[in-house]
Amino acid sequence: MNNEMTLSFVAIEENEALARMTMTCFITPLDPTIEELSEFKTIVSEAVTNAIIHGYDCDGKRKVTIHGKIEDSKVTMKITDEGNGIFDVDQAMEPMFTTKPLLERSGMGFTIMESFADNLSVESAIGQGTVVRFEKTFSPVTEKSRMR
Amino acid sequence: MTDIAITKNGIIVVTLRGELGNHEANRIRTQISSEIFSGKVHGVIWDLTHLGFMDSSGIGLILGRMRDLAPQNGETLILNPSATMEKIFQFSGLGTVVRHCNVEKAIGEIGGVLHEQ
Repeated sequence: MNNEMTLSFVAIEENEALARMTMTCFITPLDPTIEELSEFKTIVSEAVTNAIIHGYDCDGKRKVTIHGKIEDSKVTMKITDEGNGIFDVDQAMEPMFTTKPLLERSGMGFTIMESFADNLSVESAIGQGTVVRFEKTFSPVTEKSRMR
Repeated sequence: MTDIAITKNGIIVVTLRGELGNHEANRIRTQISSEIFSGKVHGVIWDLTHLGFMDSSGIGLILGRMRDLAPQNGETLILNPSATMEKIFQFSGLGTVVRHCNVEKAIGEIGGVLHEQ
């Protein structure tokens, strides 16, 4: 199955759940396993939360955009913000690194995203924003697993 | 959505339901912290049996409350996370406080350790 969609929303915390739910619905026709689905949902949640909190400081004005594409069993996602940008992407991707410890951000977002996604890339420029791209291929459902 | 109960011997049991992201974590953080600071709390049990989703915000929430508990040497246990959540706990070094058991047994474990001291 092939499909494509774009979702765009202002940077408020309430939209984190909206993004998770919408993107989960988008990939449901691929018949993912529960674990594949929750891993996918976690990656989306981490990227969107980063965009809202770090990219836009929850300003409620500027927009986060998610572009999703399905080609057979492969999903490609692009999460874009035009906000603050990341000073040092390599450092941001280190486990436990966070610029917002007071907000109790654990600094584990990128580690989790990298572990659950097949290919994750981050492009960022100060004052211009951040683009997170990832792929995830879902295991084709066999007759046997469907019957279970 | 979130139940916070305190046992007679000072263990907070937080029962989480639905989804736990940044927004949800921000809504319950202060409530749990003020319970911890209210008096003789020496442990927090996070019951995730009915939690459908969690991201790294859950890690921040739990690590933050472990910090709150540190002055009274409080213990933390995380019960019955999903397979995906358990991976997240392992990445974050919290794998050792994950248990697959019921709340009563977890209360017994924390109570038992305290008794020995």
